[in-house]
Amino acid sequence: MPADFSGSWERDYSRGDDIQGALNQVVMERNREIQMRQQAPSNARVGNVAGISRRELGNYIALARLVEEITRPDVLTISQDNYEIRVARKDDFSMSCTFHDGVAQGTESVYGTEVCGWEGKDLVSHLILPGLQITHRFTISPDSDHMRVITTATSAQTSKPIRLHRYYMRFDAPPSAFNCIETLSMKRVCSTAEIQP
Amino acid sequence: MRRVLCLFLVAGFIPVAANASLNVSIAVFDPGIPGDASLHRDLQVFPKIREIESLFLPFVLRESLVRSGQWGAVRVIPDADSAAEVLVTGTIVRSDGGALEVAIHALDASGREWIDQTYTSIDGYRLLNDDIANDLLHFRSTLDDETVSAITEISLMRYARTLAPDAFDGYLDEMSDGTFRLLRLPAETDPMMERIHRIRGVEYVMTDAIDEKFKELHAEIESVYDVWREYRQWYYNFKADEAQRNALRSNSYESGSYEALRRAYDDYRMDRLAAQEQDKWIVGFDNEVGPAIERIEARVAELNGWVEDGYREWSRILGELFEIETGLD
Repeated sequence: MPADFSGSWERDYSRGDDIQGALNQVVMERNREIQMRQQAPSNARVGNVAGISRRELGNYIALARLVEEITRPDVLTISQDNYEIRVARKDDFSMSCTFHDGVAQGTESVYGTEVCGWEGKDLVSHLILPGLQITHRFTISPDSDHMRVITTATSAQTSKPIRLHRYYMRFDAPPSAFNCIETLSMKRVCSTAEIQP
Repeated sequence: MRRVLCLFLVAGFIPVAANASLNVSIAVFDPGIPGDASLHRDLQVFPKIREIESLFLPFVLRESLVRSGQWGAVRVIPDADSAAEVLVTGTIVRSDGGALEVAIHALDASGREWIDQTYTSIDGYRLLNDDIANDLLHFRSTLDDETVSAITEISLMRYARTLAPDAFDGYLDEMSDGTFRLLRLPAETDPMMERIHRIRGVEYVMTDAIDEKFKELHAEIESVYDVWREYRQWYYNFKADEAQRNALRSNSYESGSYEALRRAYDDYRMDRLAAQEQDKWIVGFDNEVGPAIERIEARVAELNGWVEDGYREWSRILGELFEIETGLD
């Protein structure tokens, strides 16, 4: 594996984007695009210069809201071995990338497709859903204590992506007072003593 | 109608000759795990659980056969034994909440094929095993006593020939279709044959000890396996209902709206959460029965090792005795 992400990560609120800033940025870029197009000699018109439409703005706000929600978890727990990298997030499914004979394998269901893999030392996960694409790019710092996650989302109704940077710091999760084990007949069984399966 | 007949057979309402009971050996099933690991999830194949099922299901079949009271010794054995009077082998084809499918092949010692069929049950693994047991019993009921005696004799001679090939070479004729015909039998007082009987008796004791371990395994994991199958059935029905709900559901949200995006994400999210919950159940199953499986597998391997070692040693000794008694070099 090109990089080791395993461990517990907590959000570094001192760094990273806020969603309003990311939304403003993309709306500004869109306005600029539209204005440039309108001011081009071939399109030059007299009068007020229009900007992004109310409908398009609504689509960007919807996308930004979704991105804000899915990047909300402030703790990520990553487990990694030679066969799988799993990013556990509270209130959401765990992103998982499995490797068979070194080849990354995503997940496919009737609802969408998750494609993952390494790009250099970055772990990249693309989620392709009907009318929506979300990419998470995980980058670890050289000292392995910091991690950046760039989430990029586009919808079928937006021409520009919403991009959000989140930063995380490695932390040592405190050991649990209980040792727990999953069982089938008794569900999760916990004890203060050591549990042997 | 067939089910009613089957139940009668298992319950022993159609008796076969009590003085001609055949012994049945059921080999541990082939778990039927595809070699390409990347297919496992799509095919809903969970290798660890398939391995457990391959040990567990033969014993359920054994219980069905024993319940009928129409057979001699019924044993679960780690590997197929071609000299068995009746040998049953199986491959698990499908095992999910929708159905259990097992391909069964049964042969007697003469090479006669009794069953070559894939059994499917949507009502649980016990009924499937009852069906197999009934088909075996049905086939057995078509054989006359003479044929059954011949199977027993051929079984013994195949065993003897494997153990002491020099001494028992000319008793069987192996046909081109893989079946065996008995040419003659050794004299009742043949000292080599007496030894074969004694050795087979010892081997049966060991095989019974192995079978006892499978019985132990069955007792330990039966209740957990029932919970697992119940869950798998629930999951299967949940997915079927979900597909139906999706087919009926209209996509009324405006494209690009928050509701449309949220639904696309949530559909995928719920699907993944359900799959990840299933993974947790698999871990739970393995945690619960894994130690028993490991312990019993180790003991079975040990006992089987003794049988194999003993077999080699007996074979060597018999060969030497045959040389001494016949004066052959």
